[in-house]
Amino acid sequence: MDNLPHIERIIAAIFGVVVFVTAAVALKNDWRSVGLENAVFKGMLGLLALGAALGFFAAIGVVGRA
Amino acid sequence: MAVSALSHPGIIDGGEEVDQLYVETRDLRLTGFLLFMVSDLVLFSSFIFAYLYMRNSGQGWPGPGGPKLDLALASLNSIVLFGSGATMHFALENWKHGKFIKFANWLVATIVLGLLFLSGQGIEYVTLYTRDHASWSGSGIFGASFFTLTGMHGLHVFAGVIYLTVLLLQSVQGKYTRQKYFGLTAGTLYWHFVDVIWVVLFSIFYLL
Repeated sequence: MDNLPHIERIIAAIFGVVVFVTAAVALKNDWRSVGLENAVFKGMLGLLALGAALGFFAAIGVVGRA
Repeated sequence: MAVSALSHPGIIDGGEEVDQLYVETRDLRLTGFLLFMVSDLVLFSSFIFAYLYMRNSGQGWPGPGGPKLDLALASLNSIVLFGSGATMHFALENWKHGKFIKFANWLVATIVLGLLFLSGQGIEYVTLYTRDHASWSGSGIFGASFFTLTGMHGLHVFAGVIYLTVLLLQSVQGKYTRQKYFGLTAGTLYWHFVDVIWVVLFSIFYLL
């Protein structure tokens, strides 16, 4: 159980990269789409990629105060 | 229940013409749904700004001796939720391309990830309560802000899980077609919204 935070950080870092790449690729594919609905989707995918990056950096200890 | 074993009409695509009435009401429904999300954003914003104001007003608040948040668990839990945003995106894309089984599988994955996130949040609450005796009413203004905001977000995730489950059942019953699927679009928008709110909450409680 002592290693649990370490394992959680490793899993979070690995999947953080996966989610970031997935969101970035989805954003790239949708980039040329037009309309209100797609504009909202693009904004949210961008923020999703940002969140995944923050999760990754928090997992590897670059950011975070806890 | 295996999704592939379900008896469903699949995605109906019989050269169906999208009538003008549907196009007009779809735009109205989209506008209405976006307004609903804006109103929800205002609700979260008021609590978030109240928290930030209080945090910046006090000296060193929440101060030493306060509850210690588990960054490792929060990072993992956050990635689980953000991953569910990606799976939801895949679900809608597969619907647009007429791939029902893949759509259903990605939607089920989204629901499972949403439940995993709620489980992680439950574990964090129990740990905070048993280790630090932190609770909504018993740990000062920090505890009240933390539990109110994360609890309100958790409630939205729970509602989203129910919403997505209903969408899955409706799609299995053939309620949506390849041309008429606003419910699925709204579900995806709602789930992304819940993800985006968590980006902010994760940042202010665990990173800043």
